[in-house]
Amino acid sequence: MENKEKLTKAFTESLGIEPQLVTDELTYNTIPQWDSTAHMVLIAELENVFDVMLDTDDIIDLSSVAQAKIILQKYDDNIEFA
Amino acid sequence: MTTLSSPNLADGSVLITGATGGIGEATVTRAITDGAFVIACGRDANKLEQLSSQFEGNIHTLCYDVTDEKAISNAFREVQKGVSAKKWPALYGLVNGAGVMSETVLAMTSADALKQQMAVNFYAPYQHMQLASRLMSRQKAGSIVNIVSQVGELGSSGMSAYAASKAALTGATKSLAKELAPMGIRVNAVAPGFIDTALTAHYDEKAKQKVYERVVLQREGTAKEVANAAIYLLSHHASYTTGHVLPVDGLFCP
Repeated sequence: MENKEKLTKAFTESLGIEPQLVTDELTYNTIPQWDSTAHMVLIAELENVFDVMLDTDDIIDLSSVAQAKIILQKYDDNIEFA
Repeated sequence: MTTLSSPNLADGSVLITGATGGIGEATVTRAITDGAFVIACGRDANKLEQLSSQFEGNIHTLCYDVTDEKAISNAFREVQKGVSAKKWPALYGLVNGAGVMSETVLAMTSADALKQQMAVNFYAPYQHMQLASRLMSRQKAGSIVNIVSQVGELGSSGMSAYAASKAALTGATKSLAKELAPMGIRVNAVAPGFIDTALTAHYDEKAKQKVYERVVLQREGTAKEVANAAIYLLSHHASYTTGHVLPVDGLFCP
């Protein structure tokens, strides 16, 4: 599975939202489904899918889909979202 | 409705800090006896080596200082790598057992001593809970047990820094039980009273007798008795218990 698909799946399954909602603009706390509890589930899912362990500062900064891509790329050069 | 899943201890790994101390070692032994794979963390490399030989195949040891934030992060990365490589099962349990005890009156407590109490007894367990809960969230199951203290629950003259650090951990325990329940994670604490460990080794017989006079069971507790309580709370036997502090103190009356 492509990284972009993996990312979309992580968001849809963690937040319980439709794939078309997962755009770069989707931001934390702007939809009811992406609250603080769902955020933790999302972090766990992203770490699981991409096999990384995020630093706390990055978890705080991971406030949008666009940010998620930037942060995940920091941990592994092979993670690209073309 | 939140249903907290609590698999059998034998199905998961348990990370134990302070594993080379009295209560920590007893908890390691009891957890392995109950079938868990234990990730034993401590600072005493020789003691860790001994545990590794004693429990070969059921243990992985990590030597680091719990006040070293980077070392804690690396420890959890190693835990997850081991899970990914199927060297051990997914992390199910965490026992925050590392601790230090300062016995100084208010006027004689330096800022550095206070900071050290907070660093070891509160900040370190807090960071361990942050990282462990993220790994546990992946399975939507986990159990955390913090070793607090009856000194933190009841107070004790000449031990305000220690009491404050342990009371802080009790507060975090109760709050995180509520916060992590949706993730299937239970959080509880064990509050030992006067226990026969290295922390109380400096008490002479006369001082011990003075303490026993305030204990209904009129004796000190053992590390094994504390470990039994910790393992109970960690296990599926306590599947409907979260946010609680279980005293193991022979009914201490300050």
